[in-house]
Amino acid sequence: MGINPTAGQIFKALLEGFWVNLEVFAVTLALAIPLGFIISFGSMSKFRPLRCWDKSDSQILRIISKFAPIKLVTRTFVWIIRGTPLMLQLFVVYYGPGLLFQTPFRSPMTAVLIAFVINYAAYFSEIFRGGIEGISKGQYEACQVLGMTKSQTFFKVVLMQVVKRTIPPMSNEIITLVKDTSLARVVSGVTEILHGAYNYTRMGLIWPLFSTGLFFLAFNGILTLLFGYIEKKLDYYKG
Amino acid sequence: MAILKVDNLYKSFGKTEVLRGVSFSMEEGEVLSIIGASGSGKTTLLRCINALETATSGKITIGQETFFDSSNPNLRTKASDRRWQLSCGLVFQSYNLFPQYTALENVMLAPKLLAKEREDFKENKKEILEEIYEHAVALLERVGLSDRLNNYPCELSGGQQQRVAIARALALSPKILFFDEPTSALDPLLTQEVLKVIRELAKSKTTMVIVTHEMKFARDVSDRIIYMEDGVIEADIPASELSENTNSKKLRAFLGNIEG
Repeated sequence: MGINPTAGQIFKALLEGFWVNLEVFAVTLALAIPLGFIISFGSMSKFRPLRCWDKSDSQILRIISKFAPIKLVTRTFVWIIRGTPLMLQLFVVYYGPGLLFQTPFRSPMTAVLIAFVINYAAYFSEIFRGGIEGISKGQYEACQVLGMTKSQTFFKVVLMQVVKRTIPPMSNEIITLVKDTSLARVVSGVTEILHGAYNYTRMGLIWPLFSTGLFFLAFNGILTLLFGYIEKKLDYYKG
Repeated sequence: MAILKVDNLYKSFGKTEVLRGVSFSMEEGEVLSIIGASGSGKTTLLRCINALETATSGKITIGQETFFDSSNPNLRTKASDRRWQLSCGLVFQSYNLFPQYTALENVMLAPKLLAKEREDFKENKKEILEEIYEHAVALLERVGLSDRLNNYPCELSGGQQQRVAIARALALSPKILFFDEPTSALDPLLTQEVLKVIRELAKSKTTMVIVTHEMKFARDVSDRIIYMEDGVIEADIPASELSENTNSKKLRAFLGNIEG
């Protein structure tokens, strides 16, 4: 950037910065949704290797028989990820490998993406779990008596209903994600929009910082319209 | 040759015994109604026969094949369970239609998925799908819904939804069609339109097992009536004998209570 950048140059720099935010946004969304589904299946897992002690006379064995390792691991994971700040997770992912194993990240962006995907997958997984568990037992039984397999049941009957139910909470999370992408600046070398705008304040310019808000507002405005449209599209049926 | 044979079926949930040794069999084309108070085990019996619950012990044979036998646990495989499901059709009390599909799509979904497993599906795809479509339309016509093919369940009355559910169950041509209190969620008028469809099915010799609280209907439509109390069959009589003069003391008491 020059000594006295023109407004046009500043605007261009902000736009380039926002492109980084959009990259973080798009990659996180694309990877966190499938990962979130996988985690939600984990936290609903009924796998109990010690089920055979279910009807044991010993109360201790009966308690041990309830041990569900997959569910325990995924729910602990979700608890940790949702229970700690995203900024802390960014620091841990970025500095952790270098400080602990002497293998620092080559690309700061990769570290940012890993932290974001993990964080958002944890939140999404809880939304999906709520959506899947909200589908009535009768839907599954109807599929079963029609001879449908488990995967047919999920993909042909359950998934569509889960999508409809989870659009409102998901749009909430996704809009938060847009704004959270500005946290990427804590990893040095990731010049997202706020990072750039902040530098102008040192030159005594405040308007670039304020105008970053316009970028977020505009993009979230588009997303709000998009989700409204999707909700309306799915409104052709109830239940 | 019996089409359905249930031998000494027991089912407990935890410490509660719901079925305590139920045995009966039925012939092809027969219509059987199961009556009894709530909690007598009727629904559980139906669910065990339909593989929605696993009985604690006993034996279930449909047609030529034994699908469940507690003395032979290796009998059940994924493939045999699938054949088991497909030989039964079940109509639920709460319809359980798929809300995101139209009436027609609800009826066609399972047959379409099943057809994809056919070896000749790729070659004759068009004909097969055409056949499924025509069959589905004919079934919906049969239950009186030819003007509602493209309506979603939320646009249909309870009685119409239940009739779609009947068409959906018939679409796979099950050996036996089961009804679990099909009219319990309906008002008297809608009840009649559903019962009319079941009557029509009985006329065309569809093998059916109906769990119901509609005594008069049960007597009219069935060949035989089973009365259950506390997880056992207390009476198994020709439908014409369902009256206050029946031999079973317990059934007489039950009928007295509901009519008094």
